[in-house]
Amino acid sequence: MPKSYIEVLVNDEPREFLVQPGTTLLGALREELGLTAAKRGCGQGTCGTCTCIVDGEAVMSCLVPVETIQGADVRTLEGVARDGGELDEVQAAFLEGFATQCGFCTSGMIMAAQALLAENPDPSREDVVRAISGNVCRCTGYESIINAILDAAQRRRATGGVQYVEGGV
Amino acid sequence: MAPSVEVPESVGEVVGALAGEGSVVLAGGTVVMPEVNTTAHDLRALVSLRRAGLRGIEVDGGRAVIGAATTLAEVGKHERLAVLRPVIESIASPTIRNLATVGGNLFVKQPYGDLAVALLALDAEVDVAGPDGASSTRPVADVLRDGAGEREVVTAVAFDVPDAAAWRYTKAMRRKQNSASIVTVAAVLGLDGGTVGAARIALGGAGAKPVRATAAEQALTGGPLDHDRARAAGEAALQDAEPFDDAYASAWYRGRVLPVHVRRALLGE
Repeated sequence: MPKSYIEVLVNDEPREFLVQPGTTLLGALREELGLTAAKRGCGQGTCGTCTCIVDGEAVMSCLVPVETIQGADVRTLEGVARDGGELDEVQAAFLEGFATQCGFCTSGMIMAAQALLAENPDPSREDVVRAISGNVCRCTGYESIINAILDAAQRRRATGGVQYVEGGV
Repeated sequence: MAPSVEVPESVGEVVGALAGEGSVVLAGGTVVMPEVNTTAHDLRALVSLRRAGLRGIEVDGGRAVIGAATTLAEVGKHERLAVLRPVIESIASPTIRNLATVGGNLFVKQPYGDLAVALLALDAEVDVAGPDGASSTRPVADVLRDGAGEREVVTAVAFDVPDAAAWRYTKAMRRKQNSASIVTVAAVLGLDGGTVGAARIALGGAGAKPVRATAAEQALTGGPLDHDRARAAGEAALQDAEPFDDAYASAWYRGRVLPVHVRRALLGE
């Protein structure tokens, strides 16, 4: 079967590549673009470790055939830190709050948090729990992650920090 | 073998693309893609609805019309569908709801498909498109029971938006967020003063498909909405239920708790 030609914006950069039919966004990111922050956990949309932001919405990238999102605006964890590598508020809060242990869920957790904070800069604890309810962590017991996201929200409100998800839907 | 992916730009093209052997509709991908990714499937072509113009919500004069490819998240955020927000928020996680669609929810297996249970209680109508420009409108009960035909695709769902006072919904879950249903109860009550003039009660987790609890409806209708009658309706709900075993709950457990959740739903407990 012929390959498909894909053009998408990834972390503000126009990218174009060929994929085998049926390739998921997750597969394209990892195999074609070398962006390996998004992980393949379950391949079923159950674990959330592949969470990326597509056109302003957090989605499970393993469930999205990349051929269906031609022209989309995709953001991955690689596109979250500021130019020069300075960590953004969520990354910094995760690091300083020990919200990551083995790290496998961290990319998805941070991207789900980015989508939450873009929509709701002042979330309650319950809002945070809801926002990451599709993301599984098997190390931390979630408390440190929830606290880090609340901390990040506070940091971002204090500094008027950059919103990495622009425009929403 | 990896399936091909078609991204047609009209309903007619969707129907045309479904002609091939092994072609399936790909709406949000939350059911089809797990099958593609993790099973020895025989899917040859995925026909995406993403660009087929089937996304959008219109609420006019109390009647809602929702395009089949509208996401659950969009329904949950719509101001005039606020009465359905508890239904939407009981389904999966926000990241899944950003993908999963209204049309797709009609075709997921129990104990998923809580919106389908709600649509059954709402007596929704479903628009279906087929080959040669054919289109029809069917009761959601028929679509839930029979599915769509070959080369047919659901294009929209329509229903009268219920008053909050008439609407009942409860979903028993294993945990507060992101769990399939143990049992789901949705109901529209026609309340005339203190008397139940009419009732439509639908159940999830109570069979292979969402079902109407007609015996419970009869038990409830024609009298006051009080504890005793709601309890009797809950017991009667078992007559229309065929509870099943799965990883979430045993058939025994579902059968034990169904009357309780029907009663609680009806009384708003």
